[in-house]
Amino acid sequence: MIDILQINPGLWVILAGIICAFLPVSPIRKALVLLAPIFAAVMIFQIYGAQEVIGGVINFAGMDYTTLRIDRLSMIWGYLFCLAGVLNAIYGLHEKCKITDSSALIYMGAALAGVFSGDLLTLFIFWELAAISSVFLVWKGGEHSYASGIRYLAIHVLSGVLLLAGAIVYGRANGGDFTFGNIGLGAPGGWLLLIAMGIKCGFPFLHNWIQDAYPKASITGTVILSAFTTKLALYALARGFAGEDILIYIGAVMTCFPVFFAVIENDLRRVLSYSLNNQLGFMVCGIGIGTPLAMNGVAAHVVADVIFKGLLFMSMGAVMLRTGTTKASELGGLFRSMPYTTLFCLIGAGSIAAFPLLSAFVTKSMILTAALEEHLWVPLAMLLFASAGVMEHSGIKVPYFTFFSHDSGRRVKEAPWNMLTAMGLASLLCIVFALPGVSFGYKLLYSLLPYEVDYHPYTPDHVIFQLQLLFAAITAFCILKKYGLYPSEKRAEIIDFDWTYRKLGLGIAKWIGAMWTRLSVNITGLRKTFIDNAGKRLYQIFSPAGAMSEAAPSGLAAVLTAGMLVIALLIMFITSV
Amino acid sequence: MDLLSLFPSWLIEHGAAFIIILPLLMGAITSILPSRSLAWWTAFIVTVIVTLTSFGLVLNMMSEGTTVYSMGGWDPPHGIGLVVDALSAPVLLLISAMAVLTMVYGMPATIAEVEPKKRAPFYAAFLLCFAGLMGMVVTGDAFNVFVFLEVSSISTYALVAMGAARDRRALTASFNYLIMGSIGATFFVIGLGFLYMETGTLNMADMARILADLDGGSRVAKVAFGFIVVGLGLKLAMFPLHTWLPGAYAYAPSMVTIFLASTATKAALYLLLRFTFTVFDPSFEYVGTLVKYLLIGVGVVGMIFASLQAIFQTDVRRTLAFSSVAQVGYMLLGIGLATAAGLAAGYLHLLNHAVIKGGLFIALGAFWYRFGITRVEDFQGLSKTMPWTMGAFTVSALSLIGVPFTAGFVSKVNLATAAADKGWWWAVAVIVVTSVLAIIYMGRILLSAYFGDAPEINGEVAKRNEAPLMMLVPMWVLAIMSIAIGSNIFNLGDNFVGAAEAAARLLLGSGA
Amino acid sequence: MAKSPENLSEAELEERTNAHPMSVPFLWLGRESTIKNFMWLPIAGMIICTALGLIYPPHHLAPWDFFGSWTVIGFVAYSLVVFSAGPLFKLLARNEDYYGEGGLPDPEYSTEGDHHD
Repeated sequence: MIDILQINPGLWVILAGIICAFLPVSPIRKALVLLAPIFAAVMIFQIYGAQEVIGGVINFAGMDYTTLRIDRLSMIWGYLFCLAGVLNAIYGLHEKCKITDSSALIYMGAALAGVFSGDLLTLFIFWELAAISSVFLVWKGGEHSYASGIRYLAIHVLSGVLLLAGAIVYGRANGGDFTFGNIGLGAPGGWLLLIAMGIKCGFPFLHNWIQDAYPKASITGTVILSAFTTKLALYALARGFAGEDILIYIGAVMTCFPVFFAVIENDLRRVLSYSLNNQLGFMVCGIGIGTPLAMNGVAAHVVADVIFKGLLFMSMGAVMLRTGTTKASELGGLFRSMPYTTLFCLIGAGSIAAFPLLSAFVTKSMILTAALEEHLWVPLAMLLFASAGVMEHSGIKVPYFTFFSHDSGRRVKEAPWNMLTAMGLASLLCIVFALPGVSFGYKLLYSLLPYEVDYHPYTPDHVIFQLQLLFAAITAFCILKKYGLYPSEKRAEIIDFDWTYRKLGLGIAKWIGAMWTRLSVNITGLRKTFIDNAGKRLYQIFSPAGAMSEAAPSGLAAVLTAGMLVIALLIMFITSV
Repeated sequence: MDLLSLFPSWLIEHGAAFIIILPLLMGAITSILPSRSLAWWTAFIVTVIVTLTSFGLVLNMMSEGTTVYSMGGWDPPHGIGLVVDALSAPVLLLISAMAVLTMVYGMPATIAEVEPKKRAPFYAAFLLCFAGLMGMVVTGDAFNVFVFLEVSSISTYALVAMGAARDRRALTASFNYLIMGSIGATFFVIGLGFLYMETGTLNMADMARILADLDGGSRVAKVAFGFIVVGLGLKLAMFPLHTWLPGAYAYAPSMVTIFLASTATKAALYLLLRFTFTVFDPSFEYVGTLVKYLLIGVGVVGMIFASLQAIFQTDVRRTLAFSSVAQVGYMLLGIGLATAAGLAAGYLHLLNHAVIKGGLFIALGAFWYRFGITRVEDFQGLSKTMPWTMGAFTVSALSLIGVPFTAGFVSKVNLATAAADKGWWWAVAVIVVTSVLAIIYMGRILLSAYFGDAPEINGEVAKRNEAPLMMLVPMWVLAIMSIAIGSNIFNLGDNFVGAAEAAARLLLGSGA
Repeated sequence: MAKSPENLSEAELEERTNAHPMSVPFLWLGRESTIKNFMWLPIAGMIICTALGLIYPPHHLAPWDFFGSWTVIGFVAYSLVVFSAGPLFKLLARNEDYYGEGGLPDPEYSTEGDHHD
């Protein structure tokens, strides 16, 4: 009898996903999609008391795999993933698609199981499973997403391979101990692991898959994708590399560069993908700072980010469902048709911009304060700049161009009830997690954090200075708009670093291919005259059927055989002289 | 449980000779039998009896240790000795068991693939080939090896050529195979000649003793070793000498492909082990270096190149054939490691791969039998039209890739661990990379089978049309064995690993 | 601010009939005058908060902090981002089918009903 409390809760969700793959009846599938995360959350609650729980140790092929480890850090990610799973399930209720349901569950389960993995090898398995199961969500976006999905898969498999390589180097150096604890860059294999996690986290120059795949996935797919992959990587980073100085700067750069891309990008789901990258930067930076305050900030902001970024993607998904596009240049004035979606999108935008009483206000500020307390002036300046940037692309641009701006003339139906419910719940959470109160509101969120919290977001100076920043940004928007200095949205493909492989690399590969064809034509000519002749002679010597040597492939093979013999003899003689 | 006592003692005593002579003799008789079903029954019963005998020999070997049977009462080295030891016994059992499964499968398949007139000779050739392979493995006399090698090879050429009823390309494939096989055999016999010059004996144990006395021998022994390795390399489809293999596997009657893929190259590989480690000795400098540089070199290059080639094939039979070449690379890598763990892993992969590839080719044969399918693109929706067959195919494919709880995983992990123990991290990396390549080339087949829509025939979606029971049984036996080895059900995993370790111990000379 | 139904122009009436019932009370948001005068709201907020900053000074200063510094940071950073858009667009923008993969979904192409199996 296996103790079910020894089973990683993610596995239940994966199991549900596998069942879904074979269930032809949509309502039952939907019930599974909805209930599996809830069940997983219940299991976490059953397993985790107050102490770290380690269990599910499996010995396989002479090594121990710790398949279950829940402590204060992984617990918060676990609950968060279950919550996201429920919201996504409600959001996707209208869609009758077996592949989406099943891969969403397997993907979510893999992310959950990955977070609860106690060793690097188990983590690797779920790391790859999450990548492979999620690519179907990208492919569900339609034909145009196929190439993008392939790139997504390739990059993530690469990340997994690096993770495995790093894990093996690391484990060997530790005498076969693969436990996933604090690793640090000094450890053997540390850099491999960092790059593996960095790919999934969207480090600068490794980030392109986010903006490439997410906007091309299906409507529900994008929402689901945005919740798990990068957050799993953040968890791994927080577990393995907390306090690595280099992460502070990587994170700071990550917050800034997407701002510039987001401002010129026309596709709003891609704008949100850049915005996701930018929020990840805040958290990576917090992990780099590594003080208890910063780590609390990271954990809290992960929760807030999954909810408000999910909410924003949901609202854009609703728009996409109704209008068929999320291009800013094609939209505008939708508040007339989709009032509820407008409201929820505004709440999401306010949350990500960190308005008081909305979620990022109580979470992101912890990271900023930690930077301030550590006197990290340059990163702090970059984070402040990025905060104003967030206001631009997510706070203003996304809702303004979709729901206000000039009227596009589109009169569409409001989003379906299930989407509105999901968005409503997410909006509610954005507000609830930011309310000041004694035992509810942000205190509830803080009570889940990995370290003891001694931070008060609602001090007069914090509120006032945050509002200064935001009001100034909105003022700047209004003034620039009034004097026609705000650029209008134009349809275009914005190239990013992925140009190097999608255009340059492809070009080089094509050139090499063309050159190779030419070369091989010449070589074939040479071979015909030279090798074949030699081949025929040798063949006549070695083959008992020499007279029939006209069959070319055997001729070549005979040459190879003779060649092997020569090589074999050479090896033996050279080494024994 | 004393299974051994169930066998009559004379059978065990003369078993080593019996397992060669019976199929040889019956082969001759089968060829003139008038009725196809009578021929089938004869051949089938022969394989079953031989398998039981082999099983008895294995049991006997486990309790009594190595036995040497003197042919005709003439003691070696003057007479011919048949050796049943930890190295040869499992291979004997493997070959004969595969022969039984192939025969079961062959009942329906032969009717579809071979012309009525040629069916009895077909089974006869099969029995001869079988006898040759068994002889190659069990004999202790080097020249005898050559004789049996030729017996099996010549009958194989004929068997491959019989695929012509299905695909005319079988003729050129058979011809290529004939040429290459003959070159290989020639090299091998030249090597034996040199070896005879050096040692003055043809008995393998004797040769080993004399070579050890000579401390490796002169230049002649080196040349002999070179010829033997290259000659056997050709037979076992060592990269780049594998060119005969894809054609032969692809165009032969499917029953022959199954048998060849799971036994013929394995027997040659067994001979390579035997000659490298028991006749010669890796402690001779030239043997050591050749093993280290040549075998590992071609093994690793072959693993990568053949896997890549497998990815680009459009015909599934050729994909599997190139995959076989790649798998030979794994085994060569294991041999090249020349440590107990490495040899055991290589030997284990030899056994496992026979089980896996056998299952895959049987399923493939069933697809052809029902729908004439051989190309990857035709696999669309096969999971719906032939779910059970596709299931067995999937299990074996996963095992080939090396998914946990399957046979392939066990041997790959053992191999990787062995390489890691020796500090060869690059080899571990190669194993991982080629496994990923295996995911790709098997995965694209599985993807199309599971996610594609079933094809339409005359405007109607193809109906479910499962393979006959005679095909389902052997393929599921092999698929279940794959899982049983991987998950150690019925202790099968432990037994396989134990057999491999015993073989490795014997090869390294630390107690038989 | 909402006008009574009788003194509505024809265009406004049409807008009203086409809009979602929940949106009707908010249609003034789209009006010309609203858009023109909206900017006074953030300007007022900005001035008030800057003034309040004198009463409640920040208890942890960054080296660059002075009176109203966050207002200045917000305004300057935002403007900088927006002004960078022009040159960046020239530098980075390409035709929509630049990569030849059909780009992002076409506006004519609605994915509604396309996600069923």
